[in-house]
Amino acid sequence: MTRLADIRPSPAQTRHRTPLSRRRIGRTVVIYVSVALFAAWVVLPLWFTAMSSISQPAEMVARPPHWIPQRPTLENFQAVFGSASKASNTSDQNARIVSALAWSLIIGISVAALNLLIGGLAGYGYSRFRFRGSRSGYVFLLVSRVVPAIAIITPFFVAFRVTGLINTPFALIFSYLLFTLPLSIWLLRSYFDALSPEIEEAAMVDGASRLRILWIIVAPLAAPGLIATGLLVFLEAWSEFFYANVLTSQLTVPPLLASYNSLQTFSWNTLAAATVLSLIPPVLIAVVFQRYVVSGLSHGALK
Amino acid sequence: MSEEEPLDVAASEAAWHMPVRTGRSRLAAADRRFGMLLAIPATLIVLLLVGGPSLQTFIYSFQKVSFNGPTPFVGLDNYVRVLNSDEFRESFRITTLYAAGFVLISTTLGLAFALLLNERFRGRGIARTLLIVPWAAPWLMVGIMWKWFIDADVGMLNGLLYQFGLIHDYVPYLATPNSALLATIVAAAWRQASLSGLLFLAALQTIPPDLPEAATVDGASTWQRFRYVTVPWMRPVLMVVLVTNVIFGFLQFDVIYAMTQGGPGNATTLLSILLYRQIFQFSNVGIGSAIAVILGLVAFGVGLIFVKFLYRSESVYGRTAE
Repeated sequence: MTRLADIRPSPAQTRHRTPLSRRRIGRTVVIYVSVALFAAWVVLPLWFTAMSSISQPAEMVARPPHWIPQRPTLENFQAVFGSASKASNTSDQNARIVSALAWSLIIGISVAALNLLIGGLAGYGYSRFRFRGSRSGYVFLLVSRVVPAIAIITPFFVAFRVTGLINTPFALIFSYLLFTLPLSIWLLRSYFDALSPEIEEAAMVDGASRLRILWIIVAPLAAPGLIATGLLVFLEAWSEFFYANVLTSQLTVPPLLASYNSLQTFSWNTLAAATVLSLIPPVLIAVVFQRYVVSGLSHGALK
Repeated sequence: MSEEEPLDVAASEAAWHMPVRTGRSRLAAADRRFGMLLAIPATLIVLLLVGGPSLQTFIYSFQKVSFNGPTPFVGLDNYVRVLNSDEFRESFRITTLYAAGFVLISTTLGLAFALLLNERFRGRGIARTLLIVPWAAPWLMVGIMWKWFIDADVGMLNGLLYQFGLIHDYVPYLATPNSALLATIVAAAWRQASLSGLLFLAALQTIPPDLPEAATVDGASTWQRFRYVTVPWMRPVLMVVLVTNVIFGFLQFDVIYAMTQGGPGNATTLLSILLYRQIFQFSNVGIGSAIAVILGLVAFGVGLIFVKFLYRSESVYGRTAE
């Protein structure tokens, strides 16, 4: 079929040399229309929330709607931080966003650090060594990934109430290990599996202790995996609502936002400002560390 | 994927591959001890945090529980009451519908996004960054944003449809049962389509470029390339994404809580909402635990397929990806 003269070095180059056929123009149009639809689907809810956060309530009901507020304001953010001049807006709830953001941050970082430490050691152990019970232990970890956290919250509630840990950050740090640890062990093991054990063996011949090898040689080599796992765990903890809602009285951001509805002075614009504030950290992390996050996600799901 | 071995330890042992250090027995013994020491803390913690509460929830489901008093055993009473109640049956039906719609929308959109973002076009980098953004938004915030985005007074969706002349008046989507269910599905799928798309795209990018090229040289059309190169390559990922989405669909709570809290009426009362109400609003811990066990078994059943599948894909990807 193909004449010898038609063969070109690579398809990527032929793409530019061939004249624009009607079909190619059609393809381009279809692609750009699809990209526009895709972008609208992703951006519109976010755009709406961001614009609401800098709009005055009166402007929200305009028909046709204002896609960009005509008189933008920072009042909603001031209300969220509880420093607005209008006393009616500065409810107790609003002033708590700062402490909720701080607690979300502290809890997220603690859970991520614990996961890297405990889960990292276990992931390495399961990756490199075969020992009594290693298979059953690992299968158990895998199976525990599919126990839905939402179904087993009552015993946590009871136990934390009895021990007085309810409504403390410890309750959340402790229970968040439940759904993060199996995942991070799984992730880290797959990252360790990809490293060749030869360097470790060489270091061992040189007389380095096993823990030292783990710290000096393995950890730096597995850094991308550690970063990816840490970020995924942090995002998971930042997003968690069900446990935070039941085990604390709005200690972290999600349950605090959920409680805005019941405020007497509720306004969507204030809630929008609070939502924007609490979306910034996770979105920023995901965008900046895109490569690590995507690598972690596909390791977690596909490996 | 059902005809082959069920999930059991023996099958996974066969798939287990790791450097085994035989022939240096003294060293091997020390290795074994070291490996076990590393693995024990995490495994014990998971045993404590998942095993303990699972068992306790199971026990609760056979008891009449109050948070402060005695907890007498009542046999299968809770299950009989749950399974016979119209509320539960209706909730089960709604949950299944919800999961089905959620899986359909998030998987289809995710695949479409991935195929689109795998093409060459200007601005592809920005578009790929956009894909990750909905996934980064926590479920609860997704619910909040969508609740107001489709609101009948201030919502931008109504404004948009109104401006394009598609509706004559703003529609309160969350006020009628069917549209409320659909709206909560779409909102949750907004985030999940992103995750599905990211996973599909990652898999598309691992297709060795010479595969479609070879197919082209052999005279395959675009459709044939898709059908005979892309689809078989994507099959394992597709299964993983499908099962993940089914589980997320069955266990959805946050988005419903933020948007409708189960309403209007009971139109969006998923099993997760039902069990939350029973336990934490009505203090019916026994009944709520029975619902939790049923929901857990459903998710677990689907999840076992997931785990079994992960073992499979491990051997597939082990050879090609790393």
